[in-house]
Amino acid sequence: MIEISNLSKSFGKLEVLKDINLRVHEKEVVVLIGASGSGKSTLLRCLNFLEVAERGDIVIDSENIDLAKTNLNKVREKVGMVFQHFNLFPHKTVIENIIEAPIFVRKETKERASSKAMALLKKVGLEDKANYYPEQLSGGQKQRVAIARALAMEPKVMLFDEPTSALDPELVGEVLQVMKDLARDGMTMVIVTHEMGFAKEVADRVIMLADGNIIEEGHPNDIFANPIHERTKRFLNQIL
Amino acid sequence: MVFIENIMSIFSEHGIAFLKASWMTISITAISLLFAMVIGLIFAGFKISSSKILNWIADIYIGIIRGTPLIVQIMFLYYGLANIVNLDSFTAGALALGVHTGAYIAEIFRGAVQSIDRGQMEAARSLGMPYSLAMRRIIFPQAFKRAIPSLANQFIIGLKDSSLVAYIAVTDLYNTALSVQGENYMPFETYFVVGVYYLIIVLIFTWVANRIEKKMDVSKPKEGVIA
Repeated sequence: MIEISNLSKSFGKLEVLKDINLRVHEKEVVVLIGASGSGKSTLLRCLNFLEVAERGDIVIDSENIDLAKTNLNKVREKVGMVFQHFNLFPHKTVIENIIEAPIFVRKETKERASSKAMALLKKVGLEDKANYYPEQLSGGQKQRVAIARALAMEPKVMLFDEPTSALDPELVGEVLQVMKDLARDGMTMVIVTHEMGFAKEVADRVIMLADGNIIEEGHPNDIFANPIHERTKRFLNQIL
Repeated sequence: MVFIENIMSIFSEHGIAFLKASWMTISITAISLLFAMVIGLIFAGFKISSSKILNWIADIYIGIIRGTPLIVQIMFLYYGLANIVNLDSFTAGALALGVHTGAYIAEIFRGAVQSIDRGQMEAARSLGMPYSLAMRRIIFPQAFKRAIPSLANQFIIGLKDSSLVAYIAVTDLYNTALSVQGENYMPFETYFVVGVYYLIIVLIFTWVANRIEKKMDVSKPKEGVIA
């Protein structure tokens, strides 16, 4: 589904990603872990080109992305993203948030987009909030709307950038539950998170980044029980 | 109370003239503000643009307009350019006011657009929206809402600045006050009356602006749509 080869990215003089190689298979759930500044968020953002890597190749859904030729808007339709701070559109109601891109990008009719949106809201348990504005929702509800909004574009991959980091602890569960349901339905997912319990339960593969390198990867049971790399051990000790 | 009597006599003798002049003030202001909004939008776009040339053009325009007095701009356009373009006083006045206010509105729009959280553009782009669509549907409506108080302020300034067109013989409120006062030699009462006219127009406008701002409030659910 996703194939990254020799990806490098710098911000000024700071090299954030160093020659990253990574494959994500269809229906696979990959969790990226690592200390802050390790490059995990940047790697995720490179996958839908919110950040543009200087070097390396990215293949998404068998399409080699060439920045000069590929229409990035088309690629982004296939790659849904959920942000740490939700980034809902505050001037639009919940349902308007969800139907915006299907109507204006996918050119769906309002009726079709709306009925799809209602189905998605039901899926995330918020069908009674359709006409609320984001400001009136709790953090967990906002994030579930954001997930529904991304799903409305019928993406092939979903990227999650620390989706529960900005939430009050008691609201984390409801968002993780929606993500578990998604994983169970076979969505391909790449997730940056510090929720190790969730990673253990849902991830097919955990990838540890440090200083812009992938230093260790494997099945969550192996990584969490027997980390090989010293930095992974230290990181897990700090977080668990 | 001589003062009250004098005021009443100004109203009875010149009430109609002041009303007509109010209309002139309102229409020259409205046309100039409409024009200023268009200019403001265009130059705000120039300033936000990644093109150095467009940035530069906007900087020059805003720099010149903000750096020179409005009365000089009005006089320059009406008398100074008379040999090149012969504009009637209303057109010259509206144009000068519009170009002037446009520079300030450009800065208001630019500031408002840049104040919108970067995550909004990222979310829109991540959904496959092209830059221009994201700007039009997501960024600008939020920026516009945020700009309303500053815009209302700028509109009020524009309305009051329109009094300067009296100097190119537009028969607006201020010009009418000048000629009434020249007739009755009652500067205190005459300028008091014209002040009241300006004040009433500004108060009505402020009320309308507040209504618009309230209407764009998003803290309550939207009623009567879908589901």
